[in-house]
Amino acid sequence: MFQNRAEALALALPAAVFAAVVFLLPVSILLSESFRLQGAWTLSAYGDFFSGTLNRTVFIRTFKLGLEVTAVSAIIGYAAAFAIVNLPPKGKGRMIGLVTLPLMISPVARTYAWIVILGRTGIVNQAVTGMGLSDGPLRLLFTETAVFIGLLQLFLPLMILSLISALENMPKDAIPAARVLGANWFQVFWKVILPLTREGLVVGGTLVFTGSLTAYITPAVLGGSKVLMLETLLYQQVSVANNFVSASVIAFMLIVMSFAANILLKRLATARNKR
Amino acid sequence: MKTSLIASAALLALIPLGAMAQDRTLTISVYAFAQDDFKTLVYDPFEKQCGCKLVVETGNSVERLAKMEANKANPAVDMAVVSMADALSASRKGLVERIDPSKLTNFEKLYDLAKDPNGDGMSVGYTFYATSIAYRSDKMKIESWADLLKPEYVGHVAFPNVTTNQGPPALYMLGLALGTDTSDLKGPIEAVGEKKDDIVTFYEKSSQLVQLMQQEEIWAAPIGRFSWAGFTKLDLPIAWATPKEGQTGGMNVMVVTKGSKNQDLALQFMDFWLSTDIQTKLAEKLIDSPANKEVKVSEAAANNLTYGEETAKTLKLIPSAAALDNRDAWLKEWNDKVGQ
Repeated sequence: MFQNRAEALALALPAAVFAAVVFLLPVSILLSESFRLQGAWTLSAYGDFFSGTLNRTVFIRTFKLGLEVTAVSAIIGYAAAFAIVNLPPKGKGRMIGLVTLPLMISPVARTYAWIVILGRTGIVNQAVTGMGLSDGPLRLLFTETAVFIGLLQLFLPLMILSLISALENMPKDAIPAARVLGANWFQVFWKVILPLTREGLVVGGTLVFTGSLTAYITPAVLGGSKVLMLETLLYQQVSVANNFVSASVIAFMLIVMSFAANILLKRLATARNKR
Repeated sequence: MKTSLIASAALLALIPLGAMAQDRTLTISVYAFAQDDFKTLVYDPFEKQCGCKLVVETGNSVERLAKMEANKANPAVDMAVVSMADALSASRKGLVERIDPSKLTNFEKLYDLAKDPNGDGMSVGYTFYATSIAYRSDKMKIESWADLLKPEYVGHVAFPNVTTNQGPPALYMLGLALGTDTSDLKGPIEAVGEKKDDIVTFYEKSSQLVQLMQQEEIWAAPIGRFSWAGFTKLDLPIAWATPKEGQTGGMNVMVVTKGSKNQDLALQFMDFWLSTDIQTKLAEKLIDSPANKEVKVSEAAANNLTYGEETAKTLKLIPSAAALDNRDAWLKEWNDKVGQ
C-alpha cells in the first residue's frame, strides 16, 4: 500500500507522538512510583501489597470476577450472536440496534437501574416472594452477585457484537457440512464454530475481561466497600490514604492483567489454529 | 471533574484577554456541591463588588490538597476550602498562609469554634454540620448510637465507610456509646466488624442514602445535617435522632495558599463569604449551615440546618490532629476488621 516504510512511519508519527505524550509518558511516570522507594529501585511496594490479607482477597476477587464475567458473557454471547446472524436482514438490524442501545446509555445510569431492580422492593424480590420461594426479601444489593450481574450487563453487548461479526465472516456452508457428516451440535460448536470465530472471541474476551477489571462505578455502587475490587481499592488509596505508591502498584497490576489476558487469549486462538 | 478542569483551563487561557477589562483575577478551589447557587449568591456578587475576575476550580478536599502540594512552587489557586483535618495537613506541609483576623471584618461575628478551628491561625471555619442518625420512626427507636447495632435493627442500617467524612465521627460516637473514648477507634471498628455481614452497606456518598431509604433497603444511617434536606422530601416518617451520647459533626474551613500573589483579594473574598448577608442567603437555600452567629433564618430553614449557638457548643468534633495522626491507622484497622 505504501511505497516505502518511511512513508508509513511518517503517517503514523503524529498519532504515536500524541499517544506517547498524553498516555505512555504520564502512565510510565506514575507506574515508576511503584518501583521507587526513597530514591532507590525496589520491589518492596509489591511485597508490602501482597503481604496484606485484604489486598490478596481483593486481587483474587477482581481476577475471579473478571474471568466469570468473561466466561458467562461468551456463553450468552455465542447463543445471542448465533440467533441474530440467522435472522432475516430486517430483524437482524433491529436486534443489533437493541444490543447496541445500552452502549449509548451512561454506565452510571445502567448501574443505578440495578439498585431499583435488585432492591428489597425491586422486581426480583417481588417475583421471588410472590412465587413463595422466600419468606422475606433476599439481600441482593451490595453482594458479589450484584457486582457480577452489573458487570455482565455492562460488557455483554461488546461480546455479542464481536461474535456477530465473527459469525458473519464464517463460511455459510460450514455448519450444514458438519451436520451432514454426522457431527452433533456440541461437535459442531467445538470443532467448527469455535475455531472459525476465535478472532471474535479474542476481541470480545479481551474487551470484557479488561473492562470488568477496570470498571469503577459498577463495583462501587453495587458492591460498595463490602465487595472491594482493585479499582475501588485504588480510589481509596489515592483519595483517602493519599498513598500513591500503593495506588501505582494496583494500577500496574491492572495493566499487566489486561495485557496478559490479551496475550493469553491470542495464544489460545493461535494454538487452536495450528492443530 | 474533567469538565471543570477543562473549563478552568479554558478560563485560564482567556485571562490575557480578560485582563484588559479586569486587572485582578482570584482563583479559588471549592467543593463541587451546589455550584449554580454559589455562582448566583456568592461569585457573581463578589465579582461585581471587587471588579475582579473569579476563576472557580472544583473537587474534593483531598484532591485539592494534592494539587496544592504539586503546585507548591508556583501556586495555581489563591484560596481554597477544605476539611478541618486537611487544613491542618496543609498547614503542617507549609502550603497555607497565616490568616490575619484584623483583615476580616466579619471575623468577630463567627462562632468561637469557627474562628480558629485548628488553633494554628491558618484557617477560618465557614460552615459546620452536625452528624447524627436519620431513621424511620415507624420502624425503630434510636436513643443511643449503640442502637444501630441492635440485632433487630442492624440488618436495616447503612453505616458510613471510614474513608468518608462521616465515618470517623460516627465511629467515635459509637465508641462513646460502647464505653470507649479513644481516638484510635479500635473498639467501635471491632464492634462494626462483628456485624459487618448484617449491615446493609458501608456507604461512600451520602447521596446514595435517599434512594436506599426510599426503596426501604435501609431504615437508618448516620448522616451529616447537610444531607438531611433530601430525606425530608421523601414521603416517609423519617426522624433526626438525638442520641443520649450527643451529636458529632465536622467543619469546613477556608485557607489562603502560601505564595499566592492575590492574598489581599483572597481575604477580601473570604470576608465576603463570611458576611451575615451571604451566610444568610446560603443558609436559607439550605446549602451551608452558617458559621456567622448573627445569621437569622426562618424556622423551616433552621430545622434543616446545624443552627444556633447551643448546637455549635454541643457538637463533639474529633480534633484535627487526632484525625490526621490516626487516619492511616483507622483505615488499616477498618480494612482488617470490616473490609474483608
